[in-house]
Amino acid sequence: MSTPTQLHSDGQIVLEKDRPGQPHRGKVFAAIHAHLDDLPYYAGGTVAKLISEGYTGYIIRTSNDEKCGGRTTAENILSNEQDHVRMARALGFKDVFDFYYQNHEMDGISSIDIRGRLILLFRMLKVDTVISFNPWGHAEENPDHWVTGRAVEEACWMCGMPNDYHEHLEAGVQPHPVTERYYFYARPGQPFNRVVDVSSHIQKKVDAILECKSQGGGDSGSQLRARLAKQGKRLPLLGNDDRTANREYVRQFLLDDDREYGKEYNLLYAERFYYLDQRRPEKSKVDQYVEKNAVSL
Amino acid sequence: MATGMALGGAPAHPAAAPPPDLPSKFTPAAYANPASRYGPFATPDYYTYADDLVIERNQPGKPHQGKVLAAIQPHSDDIPLYAGGAVAKLIDEGYTGYLIRISNDEAAGKTAGYGVVQNEIDNHAVAKALGCKKAFSFYYRNHRMDDCAEIEIRARLIFLYRVLQVNTIIVMDPYNHYDENPDHLVAARAAEAACWMAGGGKDYPEHYKAGLKPARVREKYYHARSPQGHNLVNRVVDISSYIDHKVRSNVANKGKGPAGAAGARLRQQLAQEGRKLPSLGNDDETANFQYVKQFLMDDWMRLGERFGLQYAEAFRYIGPEPNYRENLRKYVDTNAVAL
Repeated sequence: MSTPTQLHSDGQIVLEKDRPGQPHRGKVFAAIHAHLDDLPYYAGGTVAKLISEGYTGYIIRTSNDEKCGGRTTAENILSNEQDHVRMARALGFKDVFDFYYQNHEMDGISSIDIRGRLILLFRMLKVDTVISFNPWGHAEENPDHWVTGRAVEEACWMCGMPNDYHEHLEAGVQPHPVTERYYFYARPGQPFNRVVDVSSHIQKKVDAILECKSQGGGDSGSQLRARLAKQGKRLPLLGNDDRTANREYVRQFLLDDDREYGKEYNLLYAERFYYLDQRRPEKSKVDQYVEKNAVSL
Repeated sequence: MATGMALGGAPAHPAAAPPPDLPSKFTPAAYANPASRYGPFATPDYYTYADDLVIERNQPGKPHQGKVLAAIQPHSDDIPLYAGGAVAKLIDEGYTGYLIRISNDEAAGKTAGYGVVQNEIDNHAVAKALGCKKAFSFYYRNHRMDDCAEIEIRARLIFLYRVLQVNTIIVMDPYNHYDENPDHLVAARAAEAACWMAGGGKDYPEHYKAGLKPARVREKYYHARSPQGHNLVNRVVDISSYIDHKVRSNVANKGKGPAGAAGARLRQQLAQEGRKLPSLGNDDETANFQYVKQFLMDDWMRLGERFGLQYAEAFRYIGPEPNYRENLRKYVDTNAVAL
């Protein structure tokens, strides 16, 4: 059920369904998240969908995830780094970038430094579309999320301005504006104006979550299976091996939100976003007016 | 004028009588520079000379061919005033030179807008006068750079060092004691830290995916800032053959600094009084050049005289590290025995 925060500017929520062929061929998106498991949960299905429809995707992780993984700080950094590469591969990303800012402490870093790095990447990769945190999303208690979201939002338009970091031109890196944004629906109550049908891409999303072992529950199934075995019990749902246990656990227990978001639209699974389209029409209003009204001298 | 011994008691190069008021039990640790007769913008109050001080003289041919020099200055007049001769010399000896200005120089001008425009023009003109291939400006706000994120300035310099493949930098000394201008210290610290980070694989690895290569910045020339400076000097560069380049780079600074069109202004003022200085010649261009050479280069002449040179600039020079790995390999090759 829609509430005022969920409405598009024209009062509608747009339902984005699968599109035939490769309508996005030649376009590039960057998914920017702070932690290993952010992107897979908030947008794993949408990423898989956009790549299947022709986009080239890149993933950028801004933190080093040192606080999560159940091991020492150093070991957590390593295991999250390795999981991140595998998770990106599962979703079909072309390349992976890690900035390694200190986990949970990104509100202490220089916002202009992270923005500058994103501007270089957006230009270098010729990013048309970003998928990231809503920098204005309420109830966001994790500073890494909003710091990342703000830097992404600012970098999107500045990367199209030639006077920002003009030295990039020296390396042949040209200005390139980002014109479409998908902001995560990360916390209850955050606004959304687009629901993406990810039903046919849910397996990819599951595959991505399965790689989130340091954090994100990717091996929860096998852990539960082992625990039950010690008690002389088993769950038939979890099958007879760890891989099956993990996959079925994710499918059964970790996709409730996606199922819930889809229900209203009779979809099996859906993801929510606040979508911003800043693509310019081929002809501006002035061009159209001139075309219609210009007369010979 | 006080003179004395170098730090550590080693004999300093300039021989002079001991200072009369300093008891003999003390060994002076710094030398006072002769005060300028015509302006404050040259050598600092004191230099401390290292006992391995080198006079860098002209080198024949193009010994630096293939090497890249970045002259980094917070403001458009810093390199011309303090290191213009050395920059011109190194470029003449084969370096490809680039000039990087960190601030926008808005504090010098009729309005901030006029100031930044004139200083932008000046920065390009300075680069041209010194023979630099290109000039860059970062445009951080003048006199407010202690409000900037130093890490971001450093990141931009790392990018430039890598894309330009810089081998050597000339910049304000990051350890300029008593420097009251925050822009100087921030720019110098960023430039220094960027040198070694630009060579590493882990700092800003995304640069490599953009096609950049690590930069090997192996040489640094740090210059002092007058008059507050109290600087360690281990290299005196003979700029006698390049004094006119230095003069022209100072004349190029119309928007700020003591040079620019000061000669023409003095000439016009004297003309209104019915007088003239013959040394200023008969036109504004000559007046500007001669004014700078006669009055503003005075300190560099006095510094040169102390080392038997016509004109000199002084630096804290940091050269390439020894090849430790190669030395170790040679030792092993020489001394290893069969098991």
